[in-house]
Amino acid sequence: MTDWIRLLIDIIFWPPLFQLVIAPGLVAALLVVIFIIWFERKTAARVQMRIGPYHISPRLGGFLQLFADLTRYAFQEIIIPTAVDKPIFIGAPLTALVLSLLPVVSMPYTSTPYYYPLPMDYSLLLTVALSTISPIFIVAAGWASNNKFAVIGSLRESFVITAYELLIVITALSGGVAALSYNLVDIVNAQTPFYKWMIFTNPIAALTMFAAILMATSGFPFEIPEAENEIVAGAFTEYSGLMYGINMGSAYIKRFVYSLLFTLVFLGGWLPYKPGIHLIDGYIIPLVVVLVKATIVMAIISFLRAVYGRFRIDQALDGAWRIFIPLALIGFGLALLEAYMGVYA
Amino acid sequence: MSTTTTIPKKLPGMDLKKIGKDLYEVFIGPQHPGSGHMRIIIRVDGDVIVEADPDLGYVHRTMEKLAEGREFIKIVPLMERMAILDACNITLPYVEAVEKLMDIEPPPRAKYLRVLLCEINRVASHLYGMGIFGVFLGHSTMYMWPFGDREVFVELAEKLTGARLTHTYAIPGGVRRDLPQGFKEDAEKAVRYMFKRLEEYRKIFLDNPVIQKRLIDVGIISKNLAAKLGIVGPNVRASGIKYDVRIIEPYEAYDELDFEVPVYEEGDAFARAWIRIIEIQQSLNIIRQVLEKMPEGDPMHEKFWAKAPPLYKKVFQETKRVKLIPLFANLKVPAGRAFARAEAGRGEVVYMVESQNAMKPYRVRVVSPSFRNAIVFKYIVPGHRIADLPAIYGSIDYFPPEADR
Repeated sequence: MTDWIRLLIDIIFWPPLFQLVIAPGLVAALLVVIFIIWFERKTAARVQMRIGPYHISPRLGGFLQLFADLTRYAFQEIIIPTAVDKPIFIGAPLTALVLSLLPVVSMPYTSTPYYYPLPMDYSLLLTVALSTISPIFIVAAGWASNNKFAVIGSLRESFVITAYELLIVITALSGGVAALSYNLVDIVNAQTPFYKWMIFTNPIAALTMFAAILMATSGFPFEIPEAENEIVAGAFTEYSGLMYGINMGSAYIKRFVYSLLFTLVFLGGWLPYKPGIHLIDGYIIPLVVVLVKATIVMAIISFLRAVYGRFRIDQALDGAWRIFIPLALIGFGLALLEAYMGVYA
Repeated sequence: MSTTTTIPKKLPGMDLKKIGKDLYEVFIGPQHPGSGHMRIIIRVDGDVIVEADPDLGYVHRTMEKLAEGREFIKIVPLMERMAILDACNITLPYVEAVEKLMDIEPPPRAKYLRVLLCEINRVASHLYGMGIFGVFLGHSTMYMWPFGDREVFVELAEKLTGARLTHTYAIPGGVRRDLPQGFKEDAEKAVRYMFKRLEEYRKIFLDNPVIQKRLIDVGIISKNLAAKLGIVGPNVRASGIKYDVRIIEPYEAYDELDFEVPVYEEGDAFARAWIRIIEIQQSLNIIRQVLEKMPEGDPMHEKFWAKAPPLYKKVFQETKRVKLIPLFANLKVPAGRAFARAEAGRGEVVYMVESQNAMKPYRVRVVSPSFRNAIVFKYIVPGHRIADLPAIYGSIDYFPPEADR
């Protein structure tokens, strides 16, 4: 009997499957995203002298509103215009969703080798590489929509991709350079005392990566590809019902994945917790620590909505190429200096 | 299965027009989150707008024609529908024109009460404009704050007139109600609150680096262009032309009040944003002054209530409330033409009323400020990027129902 339970636990908690489907993959990501949307609406409401979602479940502060919204998206009619390129119109958002989730499997959430989903030697490189695949499908979705606003939206998206991707690659790799390893486990473990978190030792790179995440995920003040007052819903103008929900969801999941990467590289991952060797103390608890940190990063991104307006596309690109790329390079130089001085040796 | 429908070569208004090579025609509106009840047809080369064509008339309600079939008093609530937030300002010249025809002068207290409501309306109207401006730039906080604070002034107007928006307060001969009990304290509280809030608007919106980057040097209307196109209101004053009917041709009690009209030289969207904030401050000052200087007396010309039935006369003398129907049911206005103008929230509004000694006017002609401002889109939008269009639109504070009438 106990063998059966043991086997079942082994199957459920088999890291490649568990990480993709349950946590921090699909299920946990969905919960975090729902929480973050609720948080975004509530904090914005607090700043703006409103109440925010309330009437569905007043005791939970309207938390169930988000589930109601989700249900609405799920059961709304999906309208597919006759003029669209159907296979791409349907396929692109789904592919984008799956691909935007992929990087969660290439990241470690514990230092116990038994719970690695993949060999972790080049996990930083692999994660960064995987995270750059999905945006192209958003461009494709906009192009397939055959709508003027969608085309302008996907053009903007492709402009923004060129701006932020280099930033994310440089800044994420500067973490690897400082710790002298592309192994995310080594990078996290190197940040052992509290003051050695890379956000403290290399704040320039951390700030730049934060700005790049804002750009990558249409966070304010870089909410440009979906600027409602200019181009309706950007690349997703023709989408309705669940398809639109999937598009929005994959944008948030992208933000979640980048927040996880940011947590591992700059916020010390599961530290200060020291993972043990069993399931609970070796896998679940460090995972929860990482999730909480990533959620905080996402909450900060969400809060900016209440403070900023949005930049114009040329201003954002100008800022990215003229301010943030030099900043990222300075951060990279700082990381090289740290590596030379052996800060993380 | 595909059905082919032949499109007739020419339907009226649907002619296929050739546009330039490499241009892309985008219809902003009328069903667009950033357009309001209008359409701007833009042609873009990449991201840069080459041509812009404002297409008005989506909320045209034939108000001038409707006015020809209504009694004089009923035209006031009709014309209020142009800009319900600005109801007193937008109908005041009409009332003045009718008074000119009847050759009566409202009592001084009525003049002050009209100015009071006009300024309350102006604050509310500017706040509405600021809110729309905020959301056009993606700044949701600047959308919610002015809309919330507008409520203070809407409620103030409700206390004064009994209605939140379409007050029908100024009527030929005076105003409909006297100042209610305790209004002075409420108004003072609202004014103090608003001064405090304006400071916060400055902090989160006007001093916000993102907003400044979006607005400075965007949508510049030069002094020359503003004069040539005949722009009115805060927009022309942001371009360096001091044109305000309250100063040029003071009406009601404005010549007895002390206020300044702000003028900016830059003429860009940022100047237009600032000028509204300063104008709100000036309006708040005017509200304070009006309440201090308010003379005693009746709020209605005696010619009207002297002829009223005894019961209504009693109501008026005791509560200072005017019952509209018996006083105005058969109001005959002497023949003639009268012209009057006033400074509404969005600019100068002009009325011409022609009467033929009947109970209904022969003609009511109205030129509203937004109608005069709409032409701006054609001249200042080209050369900007698509993202600048909402910024310019918001800064102009264009209000389609007012323009279309």
